[in-house]
Amino acid sequence: MTNVKTGITLFSLGTPYLKGELDLEGVIRAAAELGAQGYEIVAAQMIPSYPYVTDEFAEFIRQCTEKYGIGPICYAANMDRGMLKDRDLTEDEMVARAITDIVSANKLGCTVMREQYLLSPNGLARIAPYAEAYNVHVGIEIHNPDSPITRPILDYLEVIEKTGSKYIGFVPDFGCFATKPNKPYWDRALAAGATIEQLEKCARLRYDEVPMDEAMKIMGPDMAKCPALGATLNSMYGFVQFRKSCRAELEGLKRIMPYCFEMHGKCHYVDENLHESAIPYEEIIPVIAATDYDGFIVTEYEDEGGYDAVEQTRRHVAMVKKLLNEVK
Amino acid sequence: MGFAMRMNFVDVIVDDSFKNYDVNGKKMGYQFDIRLSYYRGHFLSVIDEFGVKVDDFEVPAERIKFCINGKEFSPAEFDKCYTEFWQIREPATIRVFYPGGLPEGEHKIDVTLFFRSPYMPIGPDHMYMPVDSCGTKTMAVTD
Repeated sequence: MTNVKTGITLFSLGTPYLKGELDLEGVIRAAAELGAQGYEIVAAQMIPSYPYVTDEFAEFIRQCTEKYGIGPICYAANMDRGMLKDRDLTEDEMVARAITDIVSANKLGCTVMREQYLLSPNGLARIAPYAEAYNVHVGIEIHNPDSPITRPILDYLEVIEKTGSKYIGFVPDFGCFATKPNKPYWDRALAAGATIEQLEKCARLRYDEVPMDEAMKIMGPDMAKCPALGATLNSMYGFVQFRKSCRAELEGLKRIMPYCFEMHGKCHYVDENLHESAIPYEEIIPVIAATDYDGFIVTEYEDEGGYDAVEQTRRHVAMVKKLLNEVK
Repeated sequence: MGFAMRMNFVDVIVDDSFKNYDVNGKKMGYQFDIRLSYYRGHFLSVIDEFGVKVDDFEVPAERIKFCINGKEFSPAEFDKCYTEFWQIREPATIRVFYPGGLPEGEHKIDVTLFFRSPYMPIGPDHMYMPVDSCGTKTMAVTD
């Protein structure tokens, strides 16, 4: 039987944190008030001794857990392959960084770590013994434009199954199931002078899976009149791409469920009726609820539209809880 | 610099941080604070372009010290600073050697700062998303 818990990545409250309206303790308190049962922390955003965790910081987090009743469940790592000026990090160097992150995750009390795809499948296999020793389940984030059925993800799957380790797997981000254009990007293009007709034309090209260079050519005359359309079309084929149906992707999700340690409940805009404008949660949640997944769906509000971060996060948590209750 | 991503939450140049500083009882130069325009911190080695102009005059790089983590770095050293992490909520202090200090009153500061987002490749051969963390502000200098 499924045992889905709802959490929040503190990244969702990034805007008030970065503006200084909330400090880290304030962000954790807000997450508890919004109904989270646990939280993810983006290490490079909120850990003051990054990439290390000092005794002092670990103690601060423990005290927050006592005060607010929720603690860190996932350490979100970054794989900064391009951090050196003149060359990419080697696999050895990336493995070394990932091990440092595993040690830090453990020190905070996290049993899950989000890793990024720049760590190769072989690199992921290499860190499995460390993940196991430290009891930190390392999941590669599956982020749009990848999905559970794209080649790079299947390459990880092969390695995960070959190693047989229970400590390496995935963290899917629901953005990869999008079936509608992203609202903040759409609204931004409108504000920059694009017309509804032009945007609908872009969306149609994407729905019809017209190759991107061809779509760019077709939209050329419109882009000459409204340059903002270039960025819109680009995004529709990139990080916020969408398709007519996500059925095949959801079948892929079922296949990898045994290896999923956490899920990112991505949202860009949830309306007052608790509906995400581009990502079909009504289809996604029942698929997860039908498995024996025993982990968190972590709300990840990405502030692209300038909506109130606290309110958007609150709505998203409420939406996930509502949909989970409906399938019970 | 061609296209660069911009992710801005606060002013790059921090209000009320502009002042002359003393060494041995004499004004040795001026300083101000800057914040990184992004959602997470970075190692200094990701900085690809850095410069400061005051009242439209380019400050020679060797006169600049970039101060974080209780240390001071020159722009020529950034590429070696791959273990120096600049926290996203911590301002860096930019200290400029300028004996005598700036005359009192308002001055225009322009900071040019472009960095690579090192986990966002945009092509082969070490190509990463460029991010714009430039800032401009006219402020009064204090002693």
